[in-house]
Amino acid sequence: MSPAVAARTQVGAPPPILAATGLSARYGHVEALHGVDLHIGEGELVAVLGPNGAGKSTLLRAIMGLSVNSGEVRFRGDVLPRSDAVAVASRGIVLVPEGRGLFAPMSVSDNLELGAYRLRDKAEFNRRRERVLTLFPRLKERLGQAAGSMSGGEQQMLALGRALMAGPKLLLLDEPSLGLAPRVTGEILETLGLLNREGLAIVLVEQKAPLALELASRVYLLSLGRIVAELDPRDITSHDDLAQHYFA
Amino acid sequence: MADWSYIPQVLVSGLGIGCVYGLIGIGFCVIYNASGIVNFAQGAFVMLGGMITQVLFSRSGVPLPVAALIAIAAVAVLGVAIERVVVRPLWNRKATMFVMILATLAAQIVIERLTLIAVGDQPKTLPVFTDRPPLMFGSVAVGYQLIWIVGGSLAIVGLLAAFFGLTRTGKAMRACSINREAAALQGIPVSRMLALAFALSAALGAIAGILITPTQYTAFNVGVPFAISGFIAAIVGGFGRPFGAFLGGLLLGLLQALAIVGFGAGLKNVAALSVLLLFLFIRPSGILGAAK
Repeated sequence: MSPAVAARTQVGAPPPILAATGLSARYGHVEALHGVDLHIGEGELVAVLGPNGAGKSTLLRAIMGLSVNSGEVRFRGDVLPRSDAVAVASRGIVLVPEGRGLFAPMSVSDNLELGAYRLRDKAEFNRRRERVLTLFPRLKERLGQAAGSMSGGEQQMLALGRALMAGPKLLLLDEPSLGLAPRVTGEILETLGLLNREGLAIVLVEQKAPLALELASRVYLLSLGRIVAELDPRDITSHDDLAQHYFA
Repeated sequence: MADWSYIPQVLVSGLGIGCVYGLIGIGFCVIYNASGIVNFAQGAFVMLGGMITQVLFSRSGVPLPVAALIAIAAVAVLGVAIERVVVRPLWNRKATMFVMILATLAAQIVIERLTLIAVGDQPKTLPVFTDRPPLMFGSVAVGYQLIWIVGGSLAIVGLLAAFFGLTRTGKAMRACSINREAAALQGIPVSRMLALAFALSAALGAIAGILITPTQYTAFNVGVPFAISGFIAAIVGGFGRPFGAFLGGLLLGLLQALAIVGFGAGLKNVAALSVLLLFLFIRPSGILGAAK
């Protein structure tokens, strides 16, 4: 742990919503993440930036327990199981994965319903659904349509909407802007900002730095499976700053 | 040469057996969709459905409907047991499809042999559910058991459609078949869905076995031929498409019935396997197109 991080996590500060220590992950015999330490505060929006292949997706998958991984991940102080994504998701940690993971042949409405799979309270279900459809009015027009038949932007909205149906306490987003028009990306990031201001903790993984920097309160730079820097977004003024860190 | 005036009558009986193949085929699809596993113990479920009902009814004097319900429940429990004991340990080790097929086939053989030891090798049958003379439509006789088979199968297909289309659990099972990892990320208990798929599939097999037994017979070794026919039905319909499998079963039943009239009963299986080969050559994705 770097001195700066250590100082911030010392006495007085509330425990982070998520803290990973020595988190490593491998695909077969290849280790793709090497002992990463990170922490996310309650209500914080943290960006994880890094070039293609830096291990950003692997990091999120390791937190969920999807990839073969080792190390310790604590959620509000409790140790999370390392190979049981269902259990991790049930705690309220929701990952919107790379490629969105929608149930493409199923309707928009069914996709939203499955996001709230574990919720049995009908009134709460209706409240969340109403909220999602208010955030993304376009989904309301397409409730009966197959998820896979929508545009990329609409699919990303559905993926986010489905994640919100779970009532997440921590939202992990893997490149939500990938393949989307700038205008749509803007809309989605605006919604993320709104959710974060309401107190939702978010980890936003992005390749396109400028978008994420506008929202994030802190930035981790990931390169070759290691966190190479932890930065205040206000200190990053140009792309060159980032590039320097990657190759430092 | 055969007497082709029997054709309508033959088609009617082909429809009955076709429904049974269809139900077995659906059983294959339900498990395949939940897990990617082709479960060759499916035939054991069919055999045990008829056999347990027969034993309870004839030996213990349990009324037929009660015996049938007990048999369906018992076979469903057995399905879960096979999932836990045979499939799950292999699944966790990411065994290949080939290993899974062998393992489930082994389970089939064990069940078959245990049944042989328990009840002997004599064929057994059940009385028809409604003992009345067949209905006549012109020269075509439609027995009440056939009405039970077709009506029962259609009711089950309807219930399954409602289950997969309307209930959250049914939708969650479909979600697992589309993208297991994404389903887990929604907190859907993927492994419990697999157990549920085995229970459902086993119950379907048992129902098929109970429906067909009064028109034929049951014995310890009827499972494998039924499993093969159900498997062909699933391939013809488009593997992983439950309703395609039902259509495939109907098609197979009708063609087999025609083949029996046209070429004699000895060529019944030749007809079935020819249909399989034909589809594998010309339309490998089946009538509705394979699910994956």
